[in-house]
Amino acid sequence: MKKLHVRKAAVLGAGVMGAQIAAHLANAGVPVVLFDLAAREGDRNGIVRKALDGLKKLEPAPLSSKDKLKYIDAANYDEHLPLLAECDLVIEAIAERMDWKNDLYAKIAPFLSSTAIVASNTSGLSMNALAQGLPAAVRPRFCGIHFFNPPRYMRLVEIIATEGTDAATLDALETWLTSRLGKGVIRALDTPNFVANRIGVFSILAVMHHTRAFGLGFDVVDALTGPKIGRPKSATYRTADVVGLDTLAHVIRTMRDTLPNDPWHAHFQSPDYLFALIEQGALGQKTRGGIFKKIGKDICVLDPASGDYRPSAGELSAEVAAILKERNLATRFAALRAANDPQAQFLWAIFRDVFHYAAVQLEHIADNARDLDFAMRWGFGWAQGPFETWQAAGWADIAQAIAADIAAGKAMSAKPLPPWALEAGRTGVHAPAGSYSARRNAYAPRSALPVYQRQLFPECVLGEGSATPEQSGETLYQNDGVRLWTLPAVDAGIGIISIKSKMHAIGAEVIEGVRAAVARAEAGLSGLVIWHEAPFAVGANLAQVADVCATGDFAKVDRFVAEFQNATMAIKYAQVPVVAAVQGMGLGGGCEFAMHAARRVLALESYMGLVEAGVGLIPAGGGCKEFALQAAAWAAPTATPNEVLAFIQPTFMNIATAKVSKSAHEAIGYGFARATDTILFNADELLHVAIKEARALADAGYAPQPRARGIPVAGRAGIAALEMTLVNMRDGGFISAYDYRVARAAAVALCGGEIEGGSLVDEAWLLRIEREQFVALLKNPETQARIKHMLDTGKPLRN
Amino acid sequence: MSKQIQDAYIVAATRTPVAKRNGLFKHVRPDDLLAHAIRSVVAQVPAVDPARIGDVIVGCAIPEAEQGMNIARIGVLLAGLPNTVPGYTINRFCSSGLQAVADAAAQISLGLADVMIAAGTESMSVMPQIMGDKVMPNPAIFSDENLGIAYGMGLTAEEVASRWQISRDAQDAFALVSHQKACAAIAAGHFNAETSPYAVCDRLPDLASGQIRERRRVVENDEGARPDISLEKLAKLRPVFRARGSVTAGNASQMSDGAAAVMLVSEKMLREHNLTPLARFAGYAVGGVAPEIMGIGPVAAIPRVLQQTGIRQDDLDWIELNEAFAAQALAVTRDLGLNPDRINPLGGAIALGHPLGATGAIRTATLVHGLQRTGGRYGMVSMCIGTGMGAAGIFERV
Repeated sequence: MKKLHVRKAAVLGAGVMGAQIAAHLANAGVPVVLFDLAAREGDRNGIVRKALDGLKKLEPAPLSSKDKLKYIDAANYDEHLPLLAECDLVIEAIAERMDWKNDLYAKIAPFLSSTAIVASNTSGLSMNALAQGLPAAVRPRFCGIHFFNPPRYMRLVEIIATEGTDAATLDALETWLTSRLGKGVIRALDTPNFVANRIGVFSILAVMHHTRAFGLGFDVVDALTGPKIGRPKSATYRTADVVGLDTLAHVIRTMRDTLPNDPWHAHFQSPDYLFALIEQGALGQKTRGGIFKKIGKDICVLDPASGDYRPSAGELSAEVAAILKERNLATRFAALRAANDPQAQFLWAIFRDVFHYAAVQLEHIADNARDLDFAMRWGFGWAQGPFETWQAAGWADIAQAIAADIAAGKAMSAKPLPPWALEAGRTGVHAPAGSYSARRNAYAPRSALPVYQRQLFPECVLGEGSATPEQSGETLYQNDGVRLWTLPAVDAGIGIISIKSKMHAIGAEVIEGVRAAVARAEAGLSGLVIWHEAPFAVGANLAQVADVCATGDFAKVDRFVAEFQNATMAIKYAQVPVVAAVQGMGLGGGCEFAMHAARRVLALESYMGLVEAGVGLIPAGGGCKEFALQAAAWAAPTATPNEVLAFIQPTFMNIATAKVSKSAHEAIGYGFARATDTILFNADELLHVAIKEARALADAGYAPQPRARGIPVAGRAGIAALEMTLVNMRDGGFISAYDYRVARAAAVALCGGEIEGGSLVDEAWLLRIEREQFVALLKNPETQARIKHMLDTGKPLRN
Repeated sequence: MSKQIQDAYIVAATRTPVAKRNGLFKHVRPDDLLAHAIRSVVAQVPAVDPARIGDVIVGCAIPEAEQGMNIARIGVLLAGLPNTVPGYTINRFCSSGLQAVADAAAQISLGLADVMIAAGTESMSVMPQIMGDKVMPNPAIFSDENLGIAYGMGLTAEEVASRWQISRDAQDAFALVSHQKACAAIAAGHFNAETSPYAVCDRLPDLASGQIRERRRVVENDEGARPDISLEKLAKLRPVFRARGSVTAGNASQMSDGAAAVMLVSEKMLREHNLTPLARFAGYAVGGVAPEIMGIGPVAAIPRVLQQTGIRQDDLDWIELNEAFAAQALAVTRDLGLNPDRINPLGGAIALGHPLGATGAIRTATLVHGLQRTGGRYGMVSMCIGTGMGAAGIFERV
């Protein structure tokens, strides 16, 4: 199999997408040359430099850490085209104009490396037509590579072959995008707007159509089409505001222009109010007003009839709210169809028309139903794609209902459902053997590319029938908190600890389970992996802490914390290597579990932090202790109190302000993980890699370090230096008196207690100090109030 | 040398331009800046044999790292003075440069020396923290009575602003005027007589060619003054030291790099070498205030020095009142009833910068040359000092 090595990449066009794609390449450690037009005056790379500056400010952050920016070189087409010779991948992301793209292709062609892959990020132009703009020799290495905004966070990349694209090149590119950039790749056919935008924009049109038909307000529709039906919080109209109403109108116009024969063509039309808003310059978020607008402190919504704004409410009817609580989709859809409530009718109508459209278009736009469903999950943030929803709701019933509505003239198009959808005996399009391909009338199995072997529990569509982790492997031990299991087919010698609690919070049963699992592993396994699906762990089980606290038995609290510390120390000093596989939130006690592992395998999207200050506590599962150890190690061999303090200072601020990393790279920067840890861009590969790492460590003769001794600490001189910062923050009104107290407790723990700076201590000493500080804080009413508030509201209390 | 109380005279005073922190002097060492100032001041009085210099006193507020190693003696040797000339470093934070002048004058007055150099140097570019490389305060300061020691300078300015009720608008207006006066003075060449331009040579890597690129330029003017400043721009800045405060980066002094040196001689030297003095050192006083309102320090020092010298406040033609913060400068002006028209006629630290320990010597140079140019008689240099002190020195044009 051909392997793609991207030593350097070029991105042509430093617009919103180009710059962010460059950023994500840089995140992945690929040096990038980012091109745009030469500026007419001043710095000739001015356009690109401005875009690079913009990357630092954009939210959510396109860069996984700000220092990644240094791997992006600014360039312009007038001066720097020879730099293309070094680039193994060239991604074109300029404006959607065939003539401009062709001009650019002609310009770059002489400078391309003879092996470079050239790809266009076009969101809808014909790839086969674009290929004509390139020399014949380049065409086998040319394809579409369609990222979604924001490219770091949206999982989908559609790759689109032209008639001349070399199959092995596409496989190599798919492999690279999947593993190196962490993307979910689907192969789209070369039709306008490809797959996700074709279905997704149609879905928006259907929602707009039925909003008017049922006379619903935009706020109500957003309440109906958001998380309640498994779609993003911004639902439909707020998404339109975020995307930009002008952009949306442009996309709709493109559909109208490029799809004249689409049976739904009459609906490819922006509603009048959209044009009116655009004319007024109300383009959505970028102009601080569109369909929604913030007036004073109120969020207001457009009333299309009057053209005025009114306060946004968006209440679901009681009937629909009850129906949407039903988890069984068959029951839910039956109820929606049966109800007279316009909100229910609306919901059925938007699902019906998207099902109808997807069924008719499947054979034209995608190889199979799985690709289409994943496109909607990964490109539009839907919890489920249309086909899997349909299947889960009962294929035949829904198909009949759609057919009946078409016949009754209720559907948006009179085009009949394709015969395969109405086949007798059809129960769906997804099955263990594969997903239905309308164009081939066959079931397409999952890709056989070796890269997917790295995903032991890949994301599945409903109906695929794959085993969940909980149903897999051999269980060696379990209690209420933890399951220790193995995957004998992968490596029978590596145990997997999976936490079972909600959000993987760490309570007494998890602590007990981890210690038992470690003991079990020491007795008969080669290594351990801590893995479960995201999040890694949201921290200690606060309810349990509050319960113990309520008894007033603080000796018991002390024992609880000591047990927690014993668990993290068991992880650290296990006789077999423990590898923590972190993804999503790894907060508080979860962060401490990961910090104590022999090694960490982190998904890029790892959000780690010691956030105990938010509930008036400090890390006491060894978190402060680990940072005291790190500081001592970094300061060695001249570990004066001064030197140690220099390394404590940033950590202290992170703990005091409950800072959470926004990526694995930041987690390393903050010291929650190490530079030697492994970062994976595709979270689905975590378990595979963690098992391999545990195996490699075991085979290399792993033994834990001896328990740390002779640790120089910053002591009371260090505490004073940190306290100086706190005085200024408190008396400057930035923190409360109680924040001061909590932060000072962290300072005491990080500096090894109120002892002489430079004193040598051991781990037991440091653990005792942080435990004492923790218990002392817990006795305060302010901390107890913070915990209660967090449990009641899920939000931190500032007191 | 006559061992009796006698007057000390300034016969030369010069300074480097003042650069913004991490600005034009980013790669220039503070001992090099100092050596340049010493060399320049000695060159301005060719009649005096450098070997006659009794001692060199250098003020520096953070005498550590590049500024450590008794930077005074290093500066003397780097300046190429005979190795028989000694040197020592003193520190009273922001008044260090003025303290050096006063100490040098005192030695001459006592007859301990006939020629002295007083100087100041500070590079805030080389200091990673404003308060020094490694601040390790005494844990005892967190008792209530000493808590002010822990206060950052900005927070003390907020305290002054709130206790003396100095509004944000007043502070911003003061800052604007400082920049306007500084820009006008630079344009008019009013700093030329006191300034010794500094030739910077940075050696930087050129990664493309693999060569070391030498970047040479001569810095002639202060870097901090901004002609493009406006009240609107100043109003946009957020307070940084107190959540709902009024002190911003715009109405506080700039962090800077710079150095200055002043040559003082005895009456005997004046006569022997027929030297023309710029000014007579008239007196100097310091005083203490609560650390948390350190900015008000000049209020403790100025009356003392006036009483000591018998000079009336109204007799002061020129007042160099260091603008650590607009808030404290305004509070001091109001409390003492100083004449605003005579304060900082060429702008102050908000525009010109404040290289901590060098400032006193720098503003002494500004004052004595300014009196020469304008024909004024008495002038004063005064400033507030971290941990709660004030200093004031008076000079008389002769």
